[in-house]
Amino acid sequence: MNKPVNKVIGSIVLFLGLFCQSLLAAVAEYHIQLKDHLFFPSQITIPANQKVKLVINNQDNTPEEFDSFSLNRDKVIFANNKAIIFVGPLKPGEYKFFGEYNPNTARGIVIVEHQKQKAADVN
Amino acid sequence: MLINTVILFLRDALPIFVLVVYLYVHLTATNLWLLLCAGVGALLSLIYINQIHLISQLFDGNGIELSLWICQVFVYLLALVLGYGLNRNRSSNKNYLYWTAGLMVSLTLVSKGSNFVLYFDGYFSQSNAIQSMLLGTFLGLGICLSLAILLYLTAQWLKQQLGPWSTWLLVHIYVTGQLVNALPLLVQVDFLDSSATAWSSQYFVSIEFDRLFNVLFGYQAAPSIAQVIVYALALLTPLLIFYWLKLHSASHSGIK
Repeated sequence: MNKPVNKVIGSIVLFLGLFCQSLLAAVAEYHIQLKDHLFFPSQITIPANQKVKLVINNQDNTPEEFDSFSLNRDKVIFANNKAIIFVGPLKPGEYKFFGEYNPNTARGIVIVEHQKQKAADVN
Repeated sequence: MLINTVILFLRDALPIFVLVVYLYVHLTATNLWLLLCAGVGALLSLIYINQIHLISQLFDGNGIELSLWICQVFVYLLALVLGYGLNRNRSSNKNYLYWTAGLMVSLTLVSKGSNFVLYFDGYFSQSNAIQSMLLGTFLGLGICLSLAILLYLTAQWLKQQLGPWSTWLLVHIYVTGQLVNALPLLVQVDFLDSSATAWSSQYFVSIEFDRLFNVLFGYQAAPSIAQVIVYALALLTPLLIFYWLKLHSASHSGIK
């Protein structure tokens, strides 16, 4: 094969490899249910400086839009459907989210904390 | 809900108004062209909404984000076509510029207008929200129209003083900002890694101006490094290329 062609193929493979890196890395999942226009749990705690996957399950018969200004995320979740949103890495703090179609009831907080080191079992 | 409706207008309606005003001043086309674009865009938006369940299932549930991102990329590329059209001084063959601008308006209506339809569809199911929604609509519409008139007058003045490149620059800055604003969509679906914040200017700019500047030129109070890099490249690269093309054609005609 020609050298320029090899270079192009190599560049594409490298680009795809960098591109797919985030897809292949394991990411912690956190599940949130949306029922009767309320988030359950309304408060979740995630580790700081790590990307996490939020799986939101809309169990209502109407769509809802998961919205958060502080997380910079908004996604429509259709009735009886799930949606996946990646958040992070985030600094420690509280990040509010709400359902745009029912902002008075569908409200929640993502609390970001540094992971505490688990104490070793003495036994 | 009233506040949410107003914010929706600032976030999704105002970009449409800004783009239409800029293109209207830049191309000095007839009203018919605008109405046609708006009609086509509204129709495409309804088709998009009609198929949105199907689209949302594509690419492992990331279809909506990817389709919106692709819309923004196309709008950006079409703006470059407009700039290229200015480089070519031939007065014939200018019709493609109207088609280009029309497509830009239509695609923007699809990406921004679909949010409207989803939003109002969600709210119409609640009878007690209609009054606050209508009030929010009038407020939001009033804000958008006021700003559109101000921008129209400003753009007209700029075009008279500095020529059509000034209005194209307004379009270019606007579409670059919208392109960068769409980057979080890719982060949301993990197609792009979230990068560190480049700086934070949230204490220097009030939230009202934050929204306005975000629409006009993609201002972010705390942009990521990726957003800054994409913004700089997307803004400056075409300017350098068009400048080089202009110099090249000037020197070429000088040789003749």
